[in-house]
Amino acid sequence: MRKKKVGAIAIKSFALLVVLGTACLAKAQDATTPYPNMAPVDQYLMTDQGAEIALARSAAPDSISRDADVLILGRHGFETAVKGKNGFVCIVGRGWTSAADPEYWNPKVRVPMCVNAAGARSYLLRITKITELALAGHTLDQVNEAIAKKELPPMEPGAMCYMMGKQGYGGDSAPHWHSHLMFFYSDTDPAIWGANLPGSPVVAIADPMEHLTQFVIPTQKWSDGTEDR
Amino acid sequence: MTRNQIHSILLSAFAVVAALIAAASLPAAAQDPNQPYPTMAPVEQYLMDRDTEIALARSAAPDAISHDASVIVLTRHGYETAVEGKNGWVCWVGRGWMAMFDNPEFWNPKVRAADCLNPPAARSVLPYAYKRTELFLAGHSKQEVIAAIKAAIDKKELPPLEQGTVSYMMSKGSYLTDNGGHNGPHLMFYQTAKDGAAWGANLTNSPVLAVNYWYNSAETYPQLKSFPPLSVFLIGVDKWSDGTQAPSM
Repeated sequence: MRKKKVGAIAIKSFALLVVLGTACLAKAQDATTPYPNMAPVDQYLMTDQGAEIALARSAAPDSISRDADVLILGRHGFETAVKGKNGFVCIVGRGWTSAADPEYWNPKVRVPMCVNAAGARSYLLRITKITELALAGHTLDQVNEAIAKKELPPMEPGAMCYMMGKQGYGGDSAPHWHSHLMFFYSDTDPAIWGANLPGSPVVAIADPMEHLTQFVIPTQKWSDGTEDR
Repeated sequence: MTRNQIHSILLSAFAVVAALIAAASLPAAAQDPNQPYPTMAPVEQYLMDRDTEIALARSAAPDAISHDASVIVLTRHGYETAVEGKNGWVCWVGRGWMAMFDNPEFWNPKVRAADCLNPPAARSVLPYAYKRTELFLAGHSKQEVIAAIKAAIDKKELPPLEQGTVSYMMSKGSYLTDNGGHNGPHLMFYQTAKDGAAWGANLTNSPVLAVNYWYNSAETYPQLKSFPPLSVFLIGVDKWSDGTQAPSM
């Protein structure tokens, strides 16, 4: 069901980023997936801490990311590398935080994002929790169970993130994403924003299992101000 | 562009895109930029042919949305429903007085801001538009309207802002401002925020712009300072509602 829905939306021009932007906690351990299991943890880490910080910050214009917290991935989860002062938090997501189902364990995925303060208090907690569980060797079913138990908070009003970085690697199926913003809501019908309708600039996926609806709006420029056309 | 420069051209919630275009492309209007429209024009200048107004209102959003939307049109006494929809959206054509109270084009009779509001916005933003419009058309001053709106808020006759509000302003036919190209396709979001910082708005290279719903500067009408915080966030999009490409903003 979920894959069929994603497939239908994939016809739209910006659908791939939505597919990739959806936190995937479903049946990633499919027999057809090229990444059926977690790779050695070293493959998910970036050896150059400075490079990870720079990549994370590239998700948003410098005017935002220079004053943001930056988290980098350690062996047990995301850790604070830079303490900011504007409430935004920038990270480089890995396959389990944002890749499509078959690439949940793809060790090449590097997805920079900067969440705002409301997103940091809700959406980011989900990302960091999933990361800790994944790195601790928990199965996807266990991760799903944690979410089903509502151990993670609902989305805060106004939660959003910038994903305007030119760099990064979205996955084998869509390595390069278009610049976009994302907005996070709990249990919200995509129709409420007119998403996924012909001519609408808004694309969305509602995941009932996660109680999460993600709205995506493409932007016309990258974080450095150059055109993304 | 600095925050101050951005704010200097954010003339109204409707006009932000066009104002940005103007700042980059055209000289300022010949009139006094502070008071080009000091008073309300004769009401006829704000009215439109009914069918033309319905079509313009619907053009704010793609047909997939506006086809099933309700449509309201302006009359001599306020907005009235011209078409009953079935998807909860409401399309309309805003006039200049829906901008901030100190917007220089507040009384500009040329302003035609086609807009389609989603259900939460229709329920929680539109009532403020109705209230303003009825009072202004009845001849009340800005001071009186501000006082009446405040009283209505205090008495809970006007609703609090709902979550998830969005409006589409993607019409090719809108006239948002005298400046520049007069128009530009965008989405708007209403948030109970005192400024745009929560979304990183108005910063260099940010695709998000934000203005205060009530005023540009609180000094002109200080009583607006006591109003509930309400900001309008704007994100430009690259196509008009008919699917054609819009100029890069």
